[in-house]
Amino acid sequence: MEYALYLGCTIPLRFPHFEYAFREVANILDIQFKEMKGSSCCPDPVATQSLNIDTWLTLAARNLAIAEKMGLDVMTICSGCFETLKTTHVLLKENNEAFDRVNLVLTKIGYEYKGTSKVTHFTELFSQEAMLEKIKNVILRPLDDLNVAAHYGCHLIRPSKIMQFDDPERPESIDTILKVLGANTIKFASKLECCGYCARLNEDIGFKLVEEKMSELNKLELEVDAMVAVCPACVSQYDRKEKLLSRKTGKELDIPILFLPELMAIAFGIEIDKLGLKNRSVKPMKLIEKLKT
Amino acid sequence: MIKKNAKDLDNNFRFEISKKIGAKSLLNCIQCGVCSSGCTVTEYVDMQPHRVVASCLLGLKDEVLSSQAIWTCSLCHRCTERCPKGVDYSFILALLRNLAVKEGNIPKEYSDTIRTISKNGFVIPYTGGMKITIDRRRDKMGLPKIITPNLDEINFIIKETGLGDLIKEDNKKEVKK
Ligand code: SF4
Ligand code: SF4
Repeated sequence: MEYALYLGCTIPLRFPHFEYAFREVANILDIQFKEMKGSSCCPDPVATQSLNIDTWLTLAARNLAIAEKMGLDVMTICSGCFETLKTTHVLLKENNEAFDRVNLVLTKIGYEYKGTSKVTHFTELFSQEAMLEKIKNVILRPLDDLNVAAHYGCHLIRPSKIMQFDDPERPESIDTILKVLGANTIKFASKLECCGYCARLNEDIGFKLVEEKMSELNKLELEVDAMVAVCPACVSQYDRKEKLLSRKTGKELDIPILFLPELMAIAFGIEIDKLGLKNRSVKPMKLIEKLKT
Repeated sequence: MIKKNAKDLDNNFRFEISKKIGAKSLLNCIQCGVCSSGCTVTEYVDMQPHRVVASCLLGLKDEVLSSQAIWTCSLCHRCTERCPKGVDYSFILALLRNLAVKEGNIPKEYSDTIRTISKNGFVIPYTGGMKITIDRRRDKMGLPKIITPNLDEINFIIKETGLGDLIKEDNKKEVKK
């Protein structure tokens, strides 16, 4: 199984420890990658799409064209990248006019977009039947003493006519992976709420959304050991804003936020100290203690 | 709301929108309000989603393009997901922002992003001291070297698709909202 690995910007440049965890996990699961040399920002689905849809699609198609030349499907490790690249793939397949417009620009710099490489996100791969079996076989440290909440985020599953993955209103993929790792997954009302990271012009929106979700998790009867997300924007949004909210309101919000591959790496026996969990604003010290016993 | 005469309405506005990629569905709206009831930012906007759609259909172009509602969106796509008539509101919103941008109405947060991409190929600065720090961190973790994209190619695309003005150093076009 081989993919063109599309890293994007946020993970390799700002959160390289997420990339480290992902590569370790993929390696243990025998997934091969080739690096996408010269790929750019996906580009981001918020600003670039808002400024000019053609700029957004054309820059994205350039990235996809790099993977096509390698003859490989694209693996994304961020939900924002997944959204941009998958939307481009689907829209350009449906719309010949846009397809031609994009290629008219690309040919002038020596690229051609054909639409032959599929786009996926690691959650999609890891939640496939065969992969779940494989995961079962490499677990060294089952997580059966942990209560974990799954945060799906928006772009992984919506809009479903584009993303074509999981159920947009009742998704299960992340919970399924967590259960295979041994963890106890949590049912909660605000599970599908947005993290608010993309609501750029009004930070109050993000604060409100983070507070609602984290307060609910804090109030549950059983103690939540961690929340996992599959997008660097979601992880950093909850992590940073939890800390800021605790300071502002005096109410302690201290549930650590993990990137799913980090929790998988722990279950696969990767040394916890190598994972950079201590860089989080909300330090997962309690969790680390628990994991080391 | 300001009263408008029929002659002030832009009857072509709905067609201007609906012929664009991803926005054909605009004309299907039945004003049920499902989009607004599930919208993540519904209590923060000056015009709720179903009202924006209605205004587009009516031809209230200026009102729509100068509203804060078209920029205050968390891109959660719930509107598009749940619309019973298949209206792709989250895409239509992006298109409305594109039209507002053409009129020079651009929040700084957005124009900054395209400038960062123009200079770095990424949305995060990756030159000079930043690059040294990032490379050192990655080396320590044993991660492969970053191979930056050819910036001439990136800027060619930005210019050819119509955002050339935004990446000019001296541009004064943006308006802070
Ligand atoms: S949900 Fe769809 S049909 Fe209903 S008001 Fe919104 S856009 Fe119109
Ligand atoms: S995508 Fe934007 S407009 Fe649509 S429901 Fe989400 S926040 Fe509201």
